Amino acid sequence: MKKIHIITIVLIACTIGVILATVSDSSTYANFAEAKKNQDEVFHVVGKLNKEKAMEFNPEIDANLFSFYLIDNTGLETKVIYNGSKPQDFERSEQIVITGKYHGDQFYADKILMKCPSKYNNGQTEIEVASNSK
Amino acid sequence: MEIKFIGEHLLPGQLGNFFVLLSFVFSILATVSFLAAAKNPLENSWLKLAQLSFRIHSISVIGIIVTLFIMIMNHYFEYQYVWQHSSKILPMRYMLSCFWEGQEGSFLLWSFWHVILGNIVLKISDSFQAPVMTVVSSVQVFLSSMLLGVFIFDYRIGSNPFLLLREHPEFSNLPFTKVANYLENLDGRGLNPLLQNYWMTIHPPTLFLGFALTLIPFAYAIAGLWKRDLHSWLKPALPWTFVCIAILGTGILMGGAWAYESLSFGGFWAWDPVENASLVPWLTLVGAGHLMLINKNKGSSLLSVFLLTCLTFILILYSTFLTRSGILGNTSVHAFTDLGMSGQLLIYLLCYVFLSFFLLIKNRKAFKSDDKEESIFSREFWMFVGALILLISAFQIIFSTSIPVINKIFSSNLAPPAKPIEHYNSWQVPIAILICLLIAFTQFLKYKSTNSKEFFKSLSFSFFISLGLAMLFIWQLELTKPFYAALLFTSLFSCISNLDYFVKKVKNKLYKGGASIAHIGISMLLLGALISTSKSEVISRNTSGLDVSKLGKDFNNAENILLRIGDTLKMGPYYVAFKGKTQEGLNHYFQVDYFSKQESGKLKFEFALKPFVQTNPKMGNAAEPDTRHYWNKDVYTHITYADLSQLKGEEESGQDYKNTTNHSIATGDTIFTANSIVILDALFKDVKKEQFNLSDSDIAVGAKIRVIDVKSQVRYAYPIFVISGNLTNSISSKIDALGLKFDFTGLNPETGKVDIVVAEKEDAASKFIVMKAIIFPYINLLWMGCLIMIIGTMMAVVGRLKKS
Repeated sequence: MKKIHIITIVLIACTIGVILATVSDSSTYANFAEAKKNQDEVFHVVGKLNKEKAMEFNPEIDANLFSFYLIDNTGLETKVIYNGSKPQDFERSEQIVITGKYHGDQFYADKILMKCPSKYNNGQTEIEVASNSK
Repeated sequence: MEIKFIGEHLLPGQLGNFFVLLSFVFSILATVSFLAAAKNPLENSWLKLAQLSFRIHSISVIGIIVTLFIMIMNHYFEYQYVWQHSSKILPMRYMLSCFWEGQEGSFLLWSFWHVILGNIVLKISDSFQAPVMTVVSSVQVFLSSMLLGVFIFDYRIGSNPFLLLREHPEFSNLPFTKVANYLENLDGRGLNPLLQNYWMTIHPPTLFLGFALTLIPFAYAIAGLWKRDLHSWLKPALPWTFVCIAILGTGILMGGAWAYESLSFGGFWAWDPVENASLVPWLTLVGAGHLMLINKNKGSSLLSVFLLTCLTFILILYSTFLTRSGILGNTSVHAFTDLGMSGQLLIYLLCYVFLSFFLLIKNRKAFKSDDKEESIFSREFWMFVGALILLISAFQIIFSTSIPVINKIFSSNLAPPAKPIEHYNSWQVPIAILICLLIAFTQFLKYKSTNSKEFFKSLSFSFFISLGLAMLFIWQLELTKPFYAALLFTSLFSCISNLDYFVKKVKNKLYKGGASIAHIGISMLLLGALISTSKSEVISRNTSGLDVSKLGKDFNNAENILLRIGDTLKMGPYYVAFKGKTQEGLNHYFQVDYFSKQESGKLKFEFALKPFVQTNPKMGNAAEPDTRHYWNKDVYTHITYADLSQLKGEEESGQDYKNTTNHSIATGDTIFTANSIVILDALFKDVKKEQFNLSDSDIAVGAKIRVIDVKSQVRYAYPIFVISGNLTNSISSKIDALGLKFDFTGLNPETGKVDIVVAEKEDAASKFIVMKAIIFPYINLLWMGCLIMIIGTMMAVVGRLKKS
């Protein structure tokens, strides 16, 4: 077998590997109902902040605990617990993408991505709230 | 009735529009006439016309830029672009950033560099001028069309930066645009605070110069295919390619530096889609450059040279599409939003994909496969392997980044990896290990074949030295992950072996030395990236508060710490104190002092950091970190939360005692308040009744309360409990310095316990910040590596140009 053949085989194997790894590492967008069914599985949920209900953030008790109510795109509402500080300008967000999992009756998010009106351009912008950096 | 608007400057807009149209028309004319010149090389008149058209096009592009810039400088807010991206209070130094904040401006910047490079190609004027310039001009047709803003039926082509605010489809319904003198009080919306940073003045031009530079090797490759001259284009294209590697690399790393200095995610690289989109073409370009070297020295790998050169430019277009079409939507932090140009961008991309494919297929017979096997001890074999590894690296990054595109095509519902950093690192760390290994030994191989004994002999010196050093470092740094340990070794190995090669083999040959230096640079960069990220330490770990780790192992990343004014908390190797807030314009600076503990137990002041929050009424708030740089580490500090309501009227707040707590305690018991420790020392009966206007029949008991503040200073409070007949009463005692008030409200003779009410002043309790602090060790290795890599690459280019 020529070297070029070995290289080709390795190349193809890597390509397949990349595709499989991406698909297996990727999570899914879901609504709260689906996330609730599959407890402790990581999902991305897109929704809006329920501004009627209270957000809880008491940094003096715990600077790393923030909770709010999110209404997903199907209209279902769930309490979201975020293990971090309340993001700047959270109230102004139009759309929120949270990453995390359902546990019991609450959704535990470890990442929040907000879209605020008119920040960068005329449209929207996304602000990623840093999750654990490691 | 028509409104007569007052104070509008309509001339610059008309001038700008004239230039936009001119640049578009002349880019078409230049393309057509360069094409004709390339087809009829003997006829000089086409070439003359083409050159003239390109020069007129160049002048009009510069005309657009100057006009737009004058409008921004003079605050002509009647124009939507000026209104949207600048404001009156914006400092002069950020005016340039306004210019390229919007999509239109960044297209202009890109177009500007193409024009400059095109004129350089015209100056050099080799036999490839006409075909190369055909490609360059055709790209300019696309870029100029992005600014047209004309409607063809219902489809708008381009987005015009000279549109009046009151005529802009999105803003023309704003009520103030119906008032004749609306300009009198109009101020622009201003520049995004995150972009008000010196890196944002230099990062975009550098990055776009890098983008623009990829066009030249691509244009030469297309010219070679088109003219069926598959080899001679490489000589002029090679220096362009390596200049591009240096500039694009610099641009990407400047973006990293900007993110590190002024974004809040805590690091220089987060595998964000926008970052990835600019890194991927760089990887393929580095591959293409090295393949060109193989071909130049040995004549092989021709097809791969073409493939990677074309792929690089196509990836630049694809990146543009990703970041500007809005398709990244929910996945990226700083993608542009859709300006309704995604169709146009897609055509732009597909056009060059088809052109490359078409010409490659047309020339397929010329790419005869070489039957000769390459020796395993030849330089070209391993350089080729290296280029392939870079290609795999690029493929992995772009594939994962393209998840939103995959969703769109297959209408699937994939979300990006929940842990992007782990996902990308699981591929890119092994790839980096291999690349470093290749960089380490490939220089010691000769083209065609090498004496294997000699090869191992000359390599063994640096191998054993770096193995020893690596073991020392791994032990010192406590690197436990095998992949990280392997990368530490291979990056050290490639660093030392290239240094060895430079000292031993390169004797005054600048261009050869340049390669070694560039390789030392990239190895240092990877070494710095490895150590600073794998050993970065979040020192602001929350030590108190609720235990959230029971929610699962993903939930113990409590990385923020609450710091009250006056408090001194231990944080990693430091003690930190929040000193207070100062304000400069819209920026609220929070001073955080860092102390270290001496052996005597005293705190020694080390440095002060001033991270800030900008409260921008039009844009929202943005927090910017502050970092203390040492030669061997950085201490990064970032405000994650500050109660911004307290920022406004800080002084008048806190008149009342708000946080009241009731305690039932015995003598000797302790109460904690926000800022002090409170101990009930004793009760006493010898109250001086006349002092408080009490009658002799009243019973009065006093409490002696000791209050110790954070600086261990002791104060006393003496609240008094009074029983007069059936009524009980309390005479309160205050400690103003701490904002505390004590009331003695009850006494239980059976248990001996007394009721004490502690009230705290609101401001004393609520002046706090929540912050995050990270130590990045040896991050300077990374920045030094960048510099060395760029210097080395430029040395190689200069050396090569001098040689030829």
